[in-house]
Amino acid sequence: MKKIFLIAKRDFLATVGTKAFIIGLLILPAMIGIFALIGPRLFSPKNFQVKGEVIVIDPTGRVTQELKKNFDPAKIAARQKEEAGKALSSAPQQIRQLAGDSVNKNIANALGPIPDLHILERPAYLGIEEEKYWLNTQPKDMPHLAIIVVHKNAVEPTGKGLEYGAYDIYVSPKLDDRAGGEIHRGLRDAIIAARMQARSIDKTAMDAIFAFSNIQSVTVTPNNQRQTVQGFNVLLPAAFGILLLMGVMGGGGQLLSSMVEEKSSRVVEVLLSAVSPMEIMAGKLLGQLGVSLMGMGLYILMGIALLAGFALLGLLNFSLIFYLILFFLITYLVMGSLMMAIGAAVNDIKEAQGLMMPLTLVFMIPWILWMPISRDPSSVLSVAMSFIPPVNTFAMLLRMVSNAPPPLWQVWISIAIGIGSAVCAVWFAAKVLRIGLLMFGKAPNFATLIRWVRSA
Amino acid sequence: MNAAIELRKVTKTFGRTIAVDNFDLVIPQGGIYGFIGPNGAGKTTTIRLIMSILFPDSGDVSVLGCPSALEAKNRIGYLPEERGVYRKMRVGDFLNYIASLKGVSDSDLNKRISVLLKSVGLGGTERKKCEELSKGMLQKVQILAAIIHRPDLLILDEPFSGLDPVSTRLLRDLILEENRRGATILFSTHVMPQAEEICEHVIMVHQGRKVLDEKLSTIRSQYDPRIIEFNPLDPNADVSVLTNLTGVDRVDRDDSGCKVLLAEGVNPAEMMHRIIDSITPARLELSRPRLEDIFIRLVSAKTDSVEDRQKLRANLAQSSFGEASL
Repeated sequence: MKKIFLIAKRDFLATVGTKAFIIGLLILPAMIGIFALIGPRLFSPKNFQVKGEVIVIDPTGRVTQELKKNFDPAKIAARQKEEAGKALSSAPQQIRQLAGDSVNKNIANALGPIPDLHILERPAYLGIEEEKYWLNTQPKDMPHLAIIVVHKNAVEPTGKGLEYGAYDIYVSPKLDDRAGGEIHRGLRDAIIAARMQARSIDKTAMDAIFAFSNIQSVTVTPNNQRQTVQGFNVLLPAAFGILLLMGVMGGGGQLLSSMVEEKSSRVVEVLLSAVSPMEIMAGKLLGQLGVSLMGMGLYILMGIALLAGFALLGLLNFSLIFYLILFFLITYLVMGSLMMAIGAAVNDIKEAQGLMMPLTLVFMIPWILWMPISRDPSSVLSVAMSFIPPVNTFAMLLRMVSNAPPPLWQVWISIAIGIGSAVCAVWFAAKVLRIGLLMFGKAPNFATLIRWVRSA
Repeated sequence: MNAAIELRKVTKTFGRTIAVDNFDLVIPQGGIYGFIGPNGAGKTTTIRLIMSILFPDSGDVSVLGCPSALEAKNRIGYLPEERGVYRKMRVGDFLNYIASLKGVSDSDLNKRISVLLKSVGLGGTERKKCEELSKGMLQKVQILAAIIHRPDLLILDEPFSGLDPVSTRLLRDLILEENRRGATILFSTHVMPQAEEICEHVIMVHQGRKVLDEKLSTIRSQYDPRIIEFNPLDPNADVSVLTNLTGVDRVDRDDSGCKVLLAEGVNPAEMMHRIIDSITPARLELSRPRLEDIFIRLVSAKTDSVEDRQKLRANLAQSSFGEASL
């Protein structure tokens, strides 16, 4: 046992003592911090303004006037402010406090310059074909964005029923999505306003009827209650899933490279003269486990500190952290053992790539299953995947973090299956290590590994 | 005397290749044994079987009285043929790590590491990273790693390869010192003078089988020299007269001088006197049988064709095995 700890200690120190590890550990929080600081400046739409001319052919004669009102810069600014205010109202109170008095300025900064759209009216008798050439002549100061042809029945329905027409739009190939969106939104509102006017409906009264302001959503926990934070139920599974995958991929990758390095530098035979292959394996698994747990612990603590900072700690069920670590241990043993077996079998890291392909695909499965499981944690797929190793731990964790957690018996069956698969993986890896560590020459394939397992 | 190593009918195969074939070996405690054979003879596999790094298909292995080296690993020092160190690790830390794995928990370990490093001319390298050392220096570090825990049994696979003459002498002294301390030594080599200088017993292997297991003194007497190297004082002397001497089979002459081949059973000392009587020599020397010759003689029963023998010679020449003489 002492020798296992000695190997674990060396592997742990050899990994955490490198600049690459320290940089790797800090790079994610650093990237998030940098993104938070300079992201808004980098991606700010300040440098982009929706600007240009739109031709409107309006046989109804009513839509254009409404559209002109909708394209009025003051009205656009008021609408943007209203929408941003709604978004902010669902944010945690601390974030709203952070926004503080400068909220208007911050919204204005985030949304960028007010769109500058001009309407060119064309008589309805003019054919669209005669105007199309206009779209392909683009002055730099005022681009030609679109030609809108309002349907004759866009405002008043034809026939006996309520069949309204809409509009056709012809756009420049260089039309930006944001400009397109602004035009469509303006048109939609303009046509609705024209229809209301045609039916003598008071638009102000109707807007008031459809308006919902100051909706208060409260999340009630066993101990307290607080404002619902929209997106928390999406962010939490994402955070747990990423932590699990990162820990396993990081630890497994280190095990693979460390094994390949020790084999290719031939130091492994010196080790084998002092310890058994099983002790090498156990020591390495333990050493890298320490490394992964350290990294994971750091991220968990950072996450908890962040939640505490925004007074959202009550939303986190701490038993989930226990299950996260348990599922991580199981997945780490399965994937880490298999990756170490590959490291022991190959001559260099290039050869490892071929054997790593199936494991890489296994690592891809959680990313594919993420959304289906998060959206419907009780579906047949979600339940089935939470019992199929090696992705069962990931699927079960996602289900547990979701808003429809599975019954406890399912959780423990998944854990039992995970432990069983970990035992099989460790057994397989131990057999491969026993033969593979001293095998040099031809690159092995899976058939070779299976032969080694049989003969070891 | 108890056996430090005992192999009984040990066989190891890799696929269809028989690496070690029905091998018997007994090495008494305190002995210095040389394990000799050309490349691919099965030396390293046998050593790995002794070390329990590999396991035999059949047969029994006993090391230091234990049924497996795994149970006696802390008492065994091992230098593998393929050397390896942690390149980024400091020399002192590497030796400390290996010693710890070998069960050393001595508080004076660091002091011992310094002393040992100094003894092989590497004083002050404790803080250097392994990658900063030359190949020869690293080899010395690896040898120290094999003896750092004062083993009862020291197994060295080609310990001298890659060392300069000074380092070779240094290592030889180190091995002899370990033996004087009481350690049993088994080392493999294909360079015979080194075996001759150090070991008292030679085991020769070929194609996984033992072809010789004798004391060095026995080999010397058994494979008696039958060639006398002779240079006449007068370069123009007629050496063909030597062929007329009773007991001389043949006389070969080349630029370096003459080689007088004696018939079987002829006393070389007597023959040397008779040569001196015939022609005044500038140099007269008894040529010791080359290892290659002994080896070829030993395995010739199995290598029937001339082609096979040529192949064997080529193999021996490639591994420098045959350059040495007894």
